[in-house]
Amino acid sequence: MGRNLLIHGPIPGSSILSLLDEMGMKSDSGGHSLFVGQVRADEIEGKVVSAIEYSAYEGMVQAEANKIIQSILAEFDDVRSVDFFHSTGIVKAGGISLLVLVSAGHRKQAIEACSKTVELIKERLPVWKKEIYEDNSHSWK
Amino acid sequence: MQVKVLFFGVLSEVAGTDCRHYMEVKSINDLKSRIIDEFPEIAHYNYRISLNSEIISSDRLLNENDEIALMPPFAGG
Repeated sequence: MGRNLLIHGPIPGSSILSLLDEMGMKSDSGGHSLFVGQVRADEIEGKVVSAIEYSAYEGMVQAEANKIIQSILAEFDDVRSVDFFHSTGIVKAGGISLLVLVSAGHRKQAIEACSKTVELIKERLPVWKKEIYEDNSHSWK
Repeated sequence: MQVKVLFFGVLSEVAGTDCRHYMEVKSINDLKSRIIDEFPEIAHYNYRISLNSEIISSDRLLNENDEIALMPPFAGG
């Protein structure tokens, strides 16, 4: 993965279109699985989440991302590529904060590996989030 | 001898900064004591420590310009 996986602010919907265009160049793949993570306007103890502020350990995040990708490629032999992007900074409710695309020879491993990639991102990527509520109070998650 | 300490997530709020430098610290345990002396509330939080971007689980000797991070549980996605 040669590009920067951290994107400041919400991930633009146009990124999804770019990925779809790139899929056309992967003629060795028969299935692509795409996961789009969005900031949800949760209501917690009467307060509604208006945004999430993400922070990342930038000096560590790329190395951990590479480990995640290598782990997926080692576990799923039909997977051809794994790409993902994560937001840093503020993403308002409704904005996209995570984009994962897994390409495989066939659909089964594309779907399973995409799900596993999302779980590994949550478990291993050095990213933190602060929920900001409509009254401007906040809490760390 | 100086090392750089990064505070992430809620710990940046507890420490009131996301980066601090410490002088004359010999080891991770030595550094942890210094940090807890300065910010006692940090002792109440669950966090892991990395040394030069590698998560460590035991004490290590420190060298000039080492980068240490205090990391609460990850919460990406």
